[in-house]
Amino acid sequence: MMNETEKHEHDHGHSHGDLDADAHALEHIHDHDRQFQPDLEDTPPTRYELMVYAIRELLIEKGHVTQEEITKARNTLESWQPSRGAEIVARAWTDPDFKTRLLADGNEAMADFGVDAGGAKLTVLENTDEVQNVVVCTLCSCYPRAVLGLPPDWYRSKAYRARVVVEPRKVLKEFGTDIPDEVTVRVHDSLADLRYLVIPKRPAGTEDWTQEQLAAIVTRDSMVGVTNPKAL
Amino acid sequence: MGPKFTSASEPGRGYHDIGGLDYGEVDPTTTEVAPWEKLSIAISNSMGGQGRKVINTDMGRRAREGMGEEMYNELAYFERTTESMKITLVEQGLFTEEELEERMQDIAKRISEVRGL
Amino acid sequence: MSQLFGIGDIVRVIDAHPPGHRRTPYYCRGKIGKIERVCGEHRNPEELAYGFDGKPLRRLYRVRFNQSDIWGHYDGPSEDTIDVDIYEHWLRSAE
Repeated sequence: MMNETEKHEHDHGHSHGDLDADAHALEHIHDHDRQFQPDLEDTPPTRYELMVYAIRELLIEKGHVTQEEITKARNTLESWQPSRGAEIVARAWTDPDFKTRLLADGNEAMADFGVDAGGAKLTVLENTDEVQNVVVCTLCSCYPRAVLGLPPDWYRSKAYRARVVVEPRKVLKEFGTDIPDEVTVRVHDSLADLRYLVIPKRPAGTEDWTQEQLAAIVTRDSMVGVTNPKAL
Repeated sequence: MGPKFTSASEPGRGYHDIGGLDYGEVDPTTTEVAPWEKLSIAISNSMGGQGRKVINTDMGRRAREGMGEEMYNELAYFERTTESMKITLVEQGLFTEEELEERMQDIAKRISEVRGL
Repeated sequence: MSQLFGIGDIVRVIDAHPPGHRRTPYYCRGKIGKIERVCGEHRNPEELAYGFDGKPLRRLYRVRFNQSDIWGHYDGPSEDTIDVDIYEHWLRSAE
C-alpha cells in the first residue's frame, strides 16, 4: 500500500486508455523509484483490485457509464474530508444561530459550506455536560461521508459495530474516553437515510480561539462521539 | 464469539446483524484507503446516480447479506463492497461472471507486461 | 397498516424475523421504546433492495430505548439510551 509521500497525484481529468489512472500511477512510481522500491510493484494486483478495473472497463464499454462520470464521482469522493466536518463544528461552537440551524436541519445549514450530501439527511447531535452521543451502524457502516470522508477501519469493524451498542462506555474507554456516570450516553444506530454528525463539547480554555484554531482540534473521532476534543 | 446478554440460540439473526454480539477490543489502527478502493466506491456512486439507479445502496446491502457467512467474514471491507457491487451488476445483467473473470485475467496480463514482470 | 405515531408515543417493535433484506436490527425486535423523532417519509429499503421502486413511502421514526430494556445485563446508568431508526411497519402501539 502506498503511503502519502509516494502517492503520485494524477490529474483525474484525462483518460489512460486501457489502464486505470491509478494503475498508471503505479507504473510511474515503479519507473522512477525502481532502485528504492524493489518490492513495492513486484506484487501483482489482488483479485479485488483487478475486479474493480475490470468492472470499470466493462461498464464503460457497454455504455452503462462514462469515464467522465466515474472521474466526477471520484473527485466528489476526494472532496469529502473530515476537515469539512471540523469547520462546521468550529462554526457551531462560535455562532449560536448557526448551531440552531444545524440542529434543526443539517442539510440546510451545511449548504453554507457547499456540502451536498446527496439523499442523506444530515442529522446533527450535540454533546453537552449531560449527554455524550456516539454513532454506529450495526448492520453495515453507514457514515456521514459528505462531511467526514470515508469511515475509518475501526468504525467499519465488527468489534465496534457489535459492541458499542451494548457496552458503549467500555468501548469509549478503549479510545481513552472516560464518561462519568452523571453523563448519559446515547448511542445512535444509523440504519436508514439519516447520517449523524456529533458536535463534541467545546473544551474549556478555548474561549478566545479563532475558528481555524478550533477546527484544528476537532478530530474525526470526536465527530463520531468516541473521543472529546482537548485544548492542546 | 457468541451473543452477549441474550439467549444462546438466535434463529433469524442474519450474519451481518451483529449488534450486541461478543467481539474483542476495537483496534484503533487506521489504514489509508488505496486508490483502487476509492475507485470501487466511485464506480458504485456513479452507477447509483441520478437518472441511472441501476444499483442502489440497498441492493448492495442485500448482496452483502446474501454472499454467505464465510465470504462475508473472510473478505476485507472494500473487497466486500466490491464483491457486492459485482453481484448486483451481474444480477442486473450488465455483464456475466465469465466476462468479468476473463477481463480480470486480461488486465492482470496487461499490468504484468507494463511492469516487465 | 399505516402507523402514525407522535413524539413520546410508546411503541413495540414487532417480534418477527422475516427472511430477506431488513433494516431493523435483531437486538430491538420485540422491545418497547418511545418515539423520539418523526423523520419524514422514505422509499422502503426492503423493497428497493429487490429492484422495486420502494413506494408507497414509509414513515421513518427514531425510537429511543432504555439500554437496560434492550440488554439483559446492561452495565451502566439506567438513563443510558439507544436510538434506532425504524420504519413504521415494524412498530405497533404499546400504550
